[in-house]
Amino acid sequence: MQEAIFIEHLTPLMQHMLVFLGLAYLFTKTPVFTALVNNTLTWPDKIVIYFVFSGFCIFGTWLSEPSVLNEDAIANTRLIGAVLGGLLGGPVVGFFVGLTGGLHRIYSMTSSIDPVTYVDIACGIATTLEGLIAGLVHFYFLRKNQIERLFSQKIVCVVSFGIGVVHVGVILIAGSIAGDWQGAVRLEQEIALPMLIANTVGVALIIYLIREQKNARDELTGQSIAWQIADKTADIVYGHFDQVSSEKIARIIQQETRVAAVAITDTQRLLAFTGQGDDHHVAGATISSSYTIDAINQNQVIFADGIHQRFQCRVDDACKLGSVLVIPLRDKADKKVLGTIKLYETKDKLFKNINRKLGETIANYLSNKILAGRYELQRSLRVQDQYRLLTAQVNPHFLYNALATISHIIGKQPNRARRLLQDLSNFFRKNLETSGDTTSLKQELDHVLSYLEIEKARFEYRLQVNIEIPESLYKQIVPVFTLQPIVENAIKHGVSQMLGPGCINISSAEQSDEYTLTVADNAGLYKSIARDGVGLKIDERIKIRFGSNYGITINCEPGQWTRVNIRLPKTDKEIR
Amino acid sequence: MIKTIVVDDEPHAREDLTSRIRQDSEFNVIGECANAFEAIRDINCKEPDVVFLDINMPKITGIEMLSMLDKDTLPRIVFVTAHGEYAIEAFEKNAIDFLLKPVSDQRLNITMQRLKENHQPQAMVSEAFSANLKFVPCYRGSQYYLINVKEIVHAYSSPTTGVHLLTKESTQAYHTNISLKVFEDNSDLIRCHRQHLVNPEAIKFIEKLDNGLGRIFLHEDYTIPVSRNYMDSFPAIS
Repeated sequence: MQEAIFIEHLTPLMQHMLVFLGLAYLFTKTPVFTALVNNTLTWPDKIVIYFVFSGFCIFGTWLSEPSVLNEDAIANTRLIGAVLGGLLGGPVVGFFVGLTGGLHRIYSMTSSIDPVTYVDIACGIATTLEGLIAGLVHFYFLRKNQIERLFSQKIVCVVSFGIGVVHVGVILIAGSIAGDWQGAVRLEQEIALPMLIANTVGVALIIYLIREQKNARDELTGQSIAWQIADKTADIVYGHFDQVSSEKIARIIQQETRVAAVAITDTQRLLAFTGQGDDHHVAGATISSSYTIDAINQNQVIFADGIHQRFQCRVDDACKLGSVLVIPLRDKADKKVLGTIKLYETKDKLFKNINRKLGETIANYLSNKILAGRYELQRSLRVQDQYRLLTAQVNPHFLYNALATISHIIGKQPNRARRLLQDLSNFFRKNLETSGDTTSLKQELDHVLSYLEIEKARFEYRLQVNIEIPESLYKQIVPVFTLQPIVENAIKHGVSQMLGPGCINISSAEQSDEYTLTVADNAGLYKSIARDGVGLKIDERIKIRFGSNYGITINCEPGQWTRVNIRLPKTDKEIR
Repeated sequence: MIKTIVVDDEPHAREDLTSRIRQDSEFNVIGECANAFEAIRDINCKEPDVVFLDINMPKITGIEMLSMLDKDTLPRIVFVTAHGEYAIEAFEKNAIDFLLKPVSDQRLNITMQRLKENHQPQAMVSEAFSANLKFVPCYRGSQYYLINVKEIVHAYSSPTTGVHLLTKESTQAYHTNISLKVFEDNSDLIRCHRQHLVNPEAIKFIEKLDNGLGRIFLHEDYTIPVSRNYMDSFPAIS
C-alpha cells in the first residue's frame, strides 16, 4: 500500500520536474538567461529572476497532485522555483519568490467552500522559508567569494535536500500546533519522500543545465572577445614590442575584456598599463611584482585569485586592484619568455573564470603577433637594403659616363660643362637628401631631370625627351627611385641601342583615386629590360607599400616602342 | 699621312678623340662614324689605314663588325672601350691595341707612336674575332635593317650600286656594305658566279645550258646565273 502510493506520487512529480527542466532549457535560450548567470547581479537581473522563479512556483502548484489522505494537501514541485530563485538571486529575491509562491498556494487552494486550513498556511510559510534559506546560501558563498560553488552538484543536492527536510518540519510543526499531529504525520508519510526526491533531483538537474549553458555561453563570448581583439589589433605591427604599440594593444584588450586593468611587460619593464591604478602604475618602470617575476622566470601562468592569494600593489597601498592573472608571452621557437600580459580585477570584484581562459588565448595571440611583427620588420629592412643596393648600382656607371661626357666637352664648351657639373651634383645631392623610403613625385621628377640633362649631353641628337606631368600630381608620394631607374633603363636598353634618334616620353594618366605614370621609348627592346630585373624590384616595392593593385606593367611592340606603366594610388586621398 | 676613321656612338667622345688624334700631323682623320652601319660603309669605300673602334655600339658591336669586313682589305684596328671585360678577352688573345676609356693623353700617345711605326693590318686581329656572320646590316630606302643571314637566299653585286640581298620573304632587295667575299668566307652562301652568291637551301633546281653555263631556279620566275667556273660546284645536280 505504502509503496503503491509512493510510486503514484513520485511518477507525476518526476513528470513535473521534467516539465520544469524543459522550461528551464527554453529559458537558457532567451536573452533573459543572461540575467540568471551574471556574476554580479544588478537589480534588473534580480527582478527577472524573481519573475521567472515565481512563475516556476506557481506552475508547480498548478501541476500539483492532491494527497490521497488529506484533501487540502498536495504533493508538488513548488520548492524547485523557490530554491532556484534563492540560490540564483540571493536572500531578498529568494524571500519574495517564496512569499509569492506561498501566497499563491494559499489562495489558489482555498475558497469559500474550502476554508484555509493549517496545511495551507504551513505550505505558504514553508515556501517563503525555502526561498529565504536558499538565498542565504547564495549570500554565504558570495561573502566567501566562491559564487562558483553554488553551481557545484554536491552543494546544490545537499542544500535542496536540506530545504526539503525543513519543509517537512514546518508542516509537522504546524500540524502539532493545529492539534492534528497524527494527520500531519500521515500526510508526510505519504508525500515527503517522493517530494524530497523529485525536488532534489529537479533542482540539481536545472542547476546543472544552467551551468553547462553558462559555460558554453562563456566560451562563445570568450571567442568573440578574442576575435574582436584580433580584429582591432590587426593593423598594429608589433615587431618592436615597444611602449607605443603595447599601449594601444593593452587599451584594446582592456576595452574588450572589461577587466579592471591590463598591463604588458617585457622581461625587464612595464611597457603599458591601462585601467584602474594607471596613476601609479607607470609605463617604463621596472617590474616589481613578484608574481610577474615568477611568471617570467618559471615560464608559467600565475594567478592570484584575490582570495587564497591576494595581489597587493607594491607602489600604492590604497591601490584597488586585488587579483591578477599573469601570463608569459612566449617565443615558442626559441622557448624564451618575451614578456608578460597581466589582467587585473579590483578587490571587490571576482576574477571571472572566462577571463582566465581568455587571458591565455590573448597571450598566445600576442606572442604570435610579436613574432609576426618581427618578421615583418625584417622584411621591411630587407626592402630598405634593396634601395641602398639600387642606389649603389646606379651611381658608378652613371658617374663614369657623366664625367667622361664632361671631360669630352670641357675644352669646347666650358660653360656647358659647368652646367652639367651642376646637374651632376644636384643629382647626387638628391640621393643624399633622400632619407626615407618615399619622396614626392616632384622630387623624383627633379631627380630624373638632372639625370636626363647629363644623358642628353652624352647622346645629343640621339636622345629627345618629353615630360608631360601636370603639377597637380607633384605632391603625390612615391617610393624613392621609382622613376629614375626606369628612365635609365629606357636609355640603357632602349635609346642607346638605336641607330636613329631615340625618344623618351614621360607622361601621366589620372583617375579619381589613382594615376599611372608612363615611360615610353621608341626602341621597342622589351626583352633587355625584363632581363635587367630593375622593373621587378620597383614593382615589388610598390606592391609592398601600396598593395597588389598597384605596380608596374610593361608593354612592347618590338622595334616600335616600349611602354612602362607605373600604377600608383593618389596618396593625398588615401590619407583622407 | 695615316688615313684614320674614328667610330664611336657618343658624339662628344668621338669628337674628343678625333680632335686629339688630329693634333698629330701625321694622322689624317678622314671619317667619323656613329655606328657599325656607317663604319662598314666608310671602311669599304674610304679604305683607311687605321680605325679607332668603339666596341659598345647599338645593334652591332665593334667586335661583331670585324666579321663583316673583308679580311684582305682590313685596316689596322685600335679598340676603344669603357668596358674592361673586353680588354681581358683581347689581351688573352694577345692581339691588339686596346684603349680603355677615358683615354689618357699618355696612353693615346703610345698607341699613336706604335701606329706610326707600323700601321699594317694585323691578320691575327681578324682571326681573333672572326666569327660566322649572324646578322647583316642593310639599308632599304632610308631605313636600317638587321637581317638574319639564314634568311638570305641571294646576294649579288653590281659595279655601280654595290651589294644587294634578297630574302625569303621580301620581293625587294636590300642594300648592304658588306662585300660578297665576306659572305663567302663567313656564311653558308655559295658563290655561283663572280657577282652572285646563293643559299643552297633555297635552290629549287638548276638548269644546265649549252655553253657550259647554268641557271639556278629559286622558284618559277626567279633565276640566278651560274658561270662556267662555278658549274663544278654543283656536280650532283648537273
